Amino acid sequence: MSSAQPDDPDHAAALLALVATEQSRTAFSELFNYFAPRLKTYATRQFGNEQTAMDLVQETMTNVWNKAHLFKPDRGSASTWIFTIARNIRFDFLRKNKHRQHDLSADELWPVLAEQNDSLDDDYALDDDLLMQQLAGYCEVLPKAQRVVIELIYVEGKSQQEVADALGIPLGTVKSRTRLALQKLRELINSDD
Amino acid sequence: MIKFHPSEEHLFHYVTGDLSPAMLMMVGTHVDMCSQCQEQVREMEQLLANKMFGQEEVPEEFALSDASFDGDEMLARIMAQAPDRHEAPRLQQAANELILEGKRFQLPGTLARNQHRIGAWHKVVGKMWRASVDVGGDDVLTFIYMDKNTRVPEHTHKGREATMVINGVFNDETAEYRDGDFVFLDSTVKHTPETRDEDCLTLAALDAPMHFTSGLSRLLNPFSSLFFK
Repeated sequence: MSSAQPDDPDHAAALLALVATEQSRTAFSELFNYFAPRLKTYATRQFGNEQTAMDLVQETMTNVWNKAHLFKPDRGSASTWIFTIARNIRFDFLRKNKHRQHDLSADELWPVLAEQNDSLDDDYALDDDLLMQQLAGYCEVLPKAQRVVIELIYVEGKSQQEVADALGIPLGTVKSRTRLALQKLRELINSDD
Repeated sequence: MIKFHPSEEHLFHYVTGDLSPAMLMMVGTHVDMCSQCQEQVREMEQLLANKMFGQEEVPEEFALSDASFDGDEMLARIMAQAPDRHEAPRLQQAANELILEGKRFQLPGTLARNQHRIGAWHKVVGKMWRASVDVGGDDVLTFIYMDKNTRVPEHTHKGREATMVINGVFNDETAEYRDGDFVFLDSTVKHTPETRDEDCLTLAALDAPMHFTSGLSRLLNPFSSLFFK
C-alpha cells in the first residue's frame, strides 16, 4: 500500500473495498486526502462559492464513507464512481437553489447510490416460490370441493363460469366455494404470523 | 438495431447534468435502450473523472494545508458516523409498465423511476393520445401515442423537438424510426410523422409550440397548446 497512490485505479478500488468491508479509517483517510482537495477545486470552479464547494466535498466524501459497499469495480473505476456521486450532488444543489418542488432529482436520473442488485428479480422469484409452496400447503387443508375450485381458477387459470361448466355445478356454487376458500386461506395465513 | 442517436454533445451534457430536465429524460431514456451510447457515457464519465481527479498536483491554494480547507476536521466528522448499510433505496422494479388502450409497454429505467410524473392521457386528434411528464423546467416532456395508420399533420417547430421511439414504428419523409431511435429537429425541418401497420409510443421534448404548415391543419395552430401542459 505504501508506494501506490489513489490515482492508481486498482489501489483506489482496493481502498474502497477496505472501507466497505472493515470500515478502515486508514483507507478512507488516504482516499479523502487524495479526492477531497481535488473535489474542492472542481466545486469551487463550478459554484464560485466557498461554502457551497465545501458542502459538496463533505456530502460527496460522506457518501464514499457510507456507501463504499455500493461501488462495483466491474462497472467502472473508483474515480468514475466518485465523479458520478459529485455530479449528482451538484445537480441537486443547483436545483435546490431554485426552490422548485417538482424538479427532477439526480437519483431519478442517475441511480448511482441505489442498490443495484443484479439478483433482484431472482429475489422476487424466490419469494414467489416460497409463497406458492406455503399456499400449496394451506390448500391441502381446504375441503376437497373448495380445493378443486381454487386449483382450477388459480393454477389452471379458468374463469368461474368455465369451472362451473367443467364440474357441472351452478356458477353461484363456484362463487361461494371460492369465497369460502379464500376466506379460509386468509385466516390460515394470518394465523401463521 | 438503433440507427439514430443523440449527438455527442447531448450525451456529454447528459453526463454532466447540463441539459434541460426534459432533455435529460430523453437522453437518459435513449441511453437505457442503447448499449452503444451506454458505452460512450461510461467513457465520458471516465474522461471527466480523469480530468477532475487526475491532476498530478493540487493547486496550492486548495491543498489540505490551506487554512480555509480544514480537511482534518471534515475527515473526523465524516468518520464519526457509522457507515450505514441498509439505507440505500432499492431500484423499484415493480412499477415499470405503462398500460394504455389495453396494451402494456415496458418502460426503460429512467422513465420507470419517474413514473409518478406521468400525467393523465388525453386524446389530441384522431387516434393520437398524449400524456405530459412533469419534470419541471421550461420545455415540455410528453408521451405521444399514435395508433396504427395515424398521421400527424405536417408541421415545423418554432423551437426544437427531440422525439424518440419507446415502442413501435413511425415514419416521416426521410426515414423509419424504431425502438430507441432518437431524432432531433429544429425549426428548419418540416415533417409529417405517420404510423402504418404498427402503433407507436414516443416520447418528445419540445421547447416551443409545434407549427402546422399545411392546408387545413393550419387550423390546428391555435390548438398547438394541446401539445403542452
